[in-house]
Amino acid sequence: MSLTQTLDSPVVDRDLDEATEPDLPWITIVWNDPVNLQTYVSWVFRSYFGFSRQKADRLMLLVHNEGRATVASGGREEMERHVEAMHDFGLWATLAKDDA
Amino acid sequence: MTPFRPGADGITVALAPYESALLADLARQLIELLEHRAAESPADLLYAQLGIGGPADPPLDPALARLLPDAYRGDQEAASEHRQLTELSLLDRKLTNARAVIDSLAGSAELTPAQVQSWLRTLTDLRLTLAARLQIETDDDEGIGDEAMLGVYDWLGYLQGTLIELIE
Repeated sequence: MSLTQTLDSPVVDRDLDEATEPDLPWITIVWNDPVNLQTYVSWVFRSYFGFSRQKADRLMLLVHNEGRATVASGGREEMERHVEAMHDFGLWATLAKDDA
Repeated sequence: MTPFRPGADGITVALAPYESALLADLARQLIELLEHRAAESPADLLYAQLGIGGPADPPLDPALARLLPDAYRGDQEAASEHRQLTELSLLDRKLTNARAVIDSLAGSAELTPAQVQSWLRTLTDLRLTLAARLQIETDDDEGIGDEAMLGVYDWLGYLQGTLIELIE
């Protein structure tokens, strides 16, 4: 993977997002942006959420391919903390009620 | 020449003097931008220390708007409430990181793990800021404007990518 490769590199991964659990009412969503490097986004997911490399890479690719990925679900306050942490890292994240 | 090397206790910055000077200058510009936003909040000192009392509306400047995004989409009231509670502390952390980068450029070339965290975040904030200036908004945008600025944008990406490779 090139050092300057960003999220816009074409990669095929159509897995459904398994981070969403239906019984939990709020979700943290990370949105695609043309700036952040794939290696950085994957590293953020691993270092902050403690995801495995496989899961972090899959979510990072989902962000690129689908424009967004749900990376966490749970209580509203917890999701607000996650969103703030993502903004610290410079990732574009929002929280929402999980009405899926 | 590689910009970073694994050192005895951490990561050694191996930037050329002109590169160090450029990065410090960019970090200072980022600090100015963030401080300008912080100064717009006429917050009570105590509130400011607690990180609350921030502005209700997102910044108009597209770079600042990307650095300090809404936490809610399509819910202005929730976004505004959240911004008032969190924006000042988010600004403060971004300022602290940028100052840490400047300090480490002026001091020992060895980065502690905490300084590496600051570097990664500040390099991101700088790239987001430059991307907004270069109007890089979608994956297909190559950037409009100054060739030199585009070169700096790519160079910052190279620095960040190299640093991540070293800590992995």
